[in-house]
Amino acid sequence: MERGETAVRAEIALRVNGEERRVVADTRTSLLDLLRERLGLTGSKKGCDHGQCGACTVLVDGRRVNACLALAVAHQGADVVTVEGLADGDEPHPLQRAFVENDAFQCGYCTPGQLCSAVGVLAEAARGWPSHVTADLAADGVELDEAEIRERMSGNICRCGAYPGIVAAIREAAGGGTAR
Amino acid sequence: MELGAPLDRVEGWDKVAGRARYSGEQRVAGVCHAVAVQAEIAHGEVLAVDATAARAVPGVIDVLAYGDAPALADTSDFELAVLQSPRVAYRGQIVAAVVAETLEIARHAQRLVRVTYDELGHDVELTPDHPGLYRPEKISPDDPPDTGEGEETPAEVSVDVTYETPAFHNNPMEPHATLAVWEGDHLTLYDSTQGAAAQRDALAALLGMPAERVRVVAHHVGGGFGSKGVPPRPNSVLAALCARRVGRPVKLAVTRQQMFSITGYRTPTFQRMRIGASKDGRIADIEHHVIEQTSTAREFAEQSGVVTRMMYAARARRTTHRLARLDVPVNSWMRAPGECPGMYALESAMDELAEACGIDPVELRIRNEPERDPDSGNPFSSRRLVECLRLGAERFGWSSRPEPGTRREGRHLVGMGVAAATYPAAARPAQALARVADDGSFTVSIAAADIGTGARTALTQIAADALGVPVARVRVEIGDSALPYGPLAGGSMGNASWGWAVLRACEGLRDGIARYGGAEPGLECRADTSGEIKNQEAYARHSFGAQFAEVRVDVDSGEIRVPRMLGVFAAGRVMNARLARSQFVGGMVMGLGMALTEESRMDREFGDYLNHDLAQYHVPVNADVLGIDAIWLDDPDPHANPLGGKGIGEIGIVGAAAAIGNAVHNATGHRFRRLPISPPSVIPHLP
Amino acid sequence: MEFLRPTSWGEALAAKADAPGAVPIAGGTDVMVELNFDKHRPEALLDLNRVGELATWSEEEDGRLRVGAAVPYARIIGELGGRLPGLAMAARTVGSPQIRNRGTVGGNLGAASPAGDSHPPLLAADAEIEVESAARGTRMIPAGEFYTGVKRSALAPDELIRAFHVRPAEGPQQFSKIGTRNAMVIAVCSFGLALHPSDQRIGTGIGSAAPTPRRAFEAEEYAAGELDWAGRSPLDERVARRFGELAARAAAPIDDVRGTAEYRLHALSVMARRTLTWAWKDYLNGGATACA
Repeated sequence: MERGETAVRAEIALRVNGEERRVVADTRTSLLDLLRERLGLTGSKKGCDHGQCGACTVLVDGRRVNACLALAVAHQGADVVTVEGLADGDEPHPLQRAFVENDAFQCGYCTPGQLCSAVGVLAEAARGWPSHVTADLAADGVELDEAEIRERMSGNICRCGAYPGIVAAIREAAGGGTAR
Repeated sequence: MELGAPLDRVEGWDKVAGRARYSGEQRVAGVCHAVAVQAEIAHGEVLAVDATAARAVPGVIDVLAYGDAPALADTSDFELAVLQSPRVAYRGQIVAAVVAETLEIARHAQRLVRVTYDELGHDVELTPDHPGLYRPEKISPDDPPDTGEGEETPAEVSVDVTYETPAFHNNPMEPHATLAVWEGDHLTLYDSTQGAAAQRDALAALLGMPAERVRVVAHHVGGGFGSKGVPPRPNSVLAALCARRVGRPVKLAVTRQQMFSITGYRTPTFQRMRIGASKDGRIADIEHHVIEQTSTAREFAEQSGVVTRMMYAARARRTTHRLARLDVPVNSWMRAPGECPGMYALESAMDELAEACGIDPVELRIRNEPERDPDSGNPFSSRRLVECLRLGAERFGWSSRPEPGTRREGRHLVGMGVAAATYPAAARPAQALARVADDGSFTVSIAAADIGTGARTALTQIAADALGVPVARVRVEIGDSALPYGPLAGGSMGNASWGWAVLRACEGLRDGIARYGGAEPGLECRADTSGEIKNQEAYARHSFGAQFAEVRVDVDSGEIRVPRMLGVFAAGRVMNARLARSQFVGGMVMGLGMALTEESRMDREFGDYLNHDLAQYHVPVNADVLGIDAIWLDDPDPHANPLGGKGIGEIGIVGAAAAIGNAVHNATGHRFRRLPISPPSVIPHLP
Repeated sequence: MEFLRPTSWGEALAAKADAPGAVPIAGGTDVMVELNFDKHRPEALLDLNRVGELATWSEEEDGRLRVGAAVPYARIIGELGGRLPGLAMAARTVGSPQIRNRGTVGGNLGAASPAGDSHPPLLAADAEIEVESAARGTRMIPAGEFYTGVKRSALAPDELIRAFHVRPAEGPQQFSKIGTRNAMVIAVCSFGLALHPSDQRIGTGIGSAAPTPRRAFEAEEYAAGELDWAGRSPLDERVARRFGELAARAAAPIDDVRGTAEYRLHALSVMARRTLTWAWKDYLNGGATACA
């Protein structure tokens, strides 16, 4: 068995926004603090350190997770995408564009998490994962109507109350309704 | 014409790309981390702070505590006199701080700091008959606590009821964070604040330094809702002290839990409303008696009764404010302090009066329109409440409102409610500099703050409009105390104050360019609006609005959902239609939380707010916000300021909770007079 | 803080035997809250993410499903929703979607919070928890015996939760949860219900309304006897109501920040009545599953 160091530091190697990163960090470090304090990726935000606000949402191996509830050292070899990695070069992600055009934020602090979460929503709906409000559990794809988006985005709090804009932006990016 | 256009937020791309740096996110070499140690008693004195174990942790740089901390020059405000005395005035007060190489080490060592106390008994619970109730000298911002005029006369119809609101916490998404950097005897503070210049002045005074040697930077602020106002919160002071002590840049990020004790909140209230009226609903006498709390650390008297001084016509009116000084965290501003809780009470009572008179609540308000401001006697600069009410009633389908407790759809009771809204429209003196840049574009500078309001965008539009150039040629610099003085973002005065100065600076520059015969790089114009503001004509300046809500109450579980809300506002000229809508709707969403889910529960035994995290303090989530919309009248107010705008940051929350509460009454037939209206409180009163 | 990274189940058991104070971590959604708040500073963390089998599920010879302790809620919803509808319904209300991508039933069991959302459906469906220690091997603990107190379970310090075993639904299952918000809710209280038509029995589970999740035995027996399993006649409204009353009677709630004891009792009776009504309707329609 590979025994972790008894000291409090460990080397962590992971891929962030397509780039291999290797860093020695305290074993107590959350993925969020690793990104923000060690890798200089401050796009992911700390709103509660508790998994209750969603501002730290990133994509780990393609799935949206709360980076504050992820222990960095448990993510050896993980593929992490943060808000800084959503655009394709200079071309913004369709969700980024839709967020700007629908005024889906005000102060902007929850926005990186909302965006990463929304990327997760589109992928999950395309896979046909039902939500609490999905009526037809047998359908192949999920139609992202407003109720579905609201439910699926409820892990991301926006105290400015930009929810109507967020829902509109995701609907727009989802192609007007159906993601398959 | 750039003014009013629905321009995208100018910093929008930075925000969606994760490039916008908030306080504490700046890259500074040699930064270390501080964590606050908080008092575990609500009242008493610190006897000793034993930091031996904490200091022994490798990576710990220093521990600060009373008796072992840099001195402050001004300790008159106890809340900000951090580590300057052994006194503990509330649970959660900062009593020590650990500075360490990393956040993990600092947090670990924080647990090892042993603080012993001489504990005195505490009193943390506001009650309507608290023996310590007293009349403050003034209420915020600078008004008399009590007013009274006219003789009480016997009324045909009367309402005499008391409403209760709990403590609410602002909870902006960005927890307060500070990065303090000393360079020689100069301090730079990257701080989440609603006013860089005011913050600089306050900190310079505390530290006993000339203001020129302090700079406060806040390019992006993740919401504030009053909690990042000035005077500063103690965390900013602590960061400066820690950095001075260790001689290195220090980052101090307040945790969400700590925010419940050190970054302010809205006082709980008991508000007694007495209204006497004729049978046709004309108010004869109106009284509003407010009971609130304040901390022993600093007095803050929230002005909840002021709305009753100006809202409706009456022959006699009386308002009072009484406070209980408790061993509680320092309450302060939260979105629309005064107007928000005050209008909940007044507009709920108006609904009760409408019912008692058998008059439609929209009509009742129209009947009580005053001709002049009853408080000052001045004319209103503009007052278009009646239009808001009528337009809203039409758009919302108000005529289909059922009789109370009569509309049932499946397992839901359905009802509609209305409430009026108002908020003062003031402006404060500001300075701005407009300059032709080297490339012929324009730079406009002012120490304004964009805490999510859209100020940066609106000021860009104001400048472009005044200069007569496209917005793409204007760059607005804000969020830095080194820029020309701008007041803080508060009281919905930001855009009026900053915009006025920007307008004057740009007008001046445009004239200068005309005189010079071209936009020569380096041409500039500085404006200061203090003279103009001092000489403003005597008008009562307020925004107005009407809030409508529809609720569905589950008859079995008592769960309440709000399928529709509509706000109609007359708030002066709107500078950017898209961003304005976001502001109005955002305020209404916060009002929805106030009405149904938010409440900070005081733990009587320990003296702190029990539900101090976002798992237990329920702000609305996406699934709670269904059909909320806001519209407004085209309402430039030439008497408000040269831009005709009145401020829109706060009026959206005003009246929202009353509209929902009134709708719950309409749905159930029962009047709930305590917020939030929760399932447990509703259940016993359902059919 | 030591960080142990076993790569097999055997190594994990050995590590737990060596360091009984080590806290197992898979999705991290419970453990990290404690760490971030410095509520609890374990001497070591036992990372189970490399023990691949814990994130798998299988069909056993006895007809039951064996679901690894580290299968996240999202996969229970996606892969087992048809066969474990009650658990999937509950899983769809756990925290947020982000938490559902990481959080696991194993973590919920380990924390043994009375408010954990997976407990009521596990109780209602007669699940058994497979736990193991290096010293004493495997034992199976019925869900009803697993919870022993507030945040306490029958798990010994040297044991780890390996899986839970549960029969695929042979009848309709339901889950209901009440909170102040529309989402992101820690249950004020919750109720799980499963119909077991082959032995004409009802299973129940109550959440957040007693020191431990528990079943409402009296309500189960009453309704099982009153329901017309063979004739499939509609549910008598009085039976549903009585079932609700009996379900509430099984609870022992307290007042706390989320709700009052009185309200919890009321809400439980409402949820029990509703879930039975929905489930019976499904049964009459011949369906095995349905959603709230």
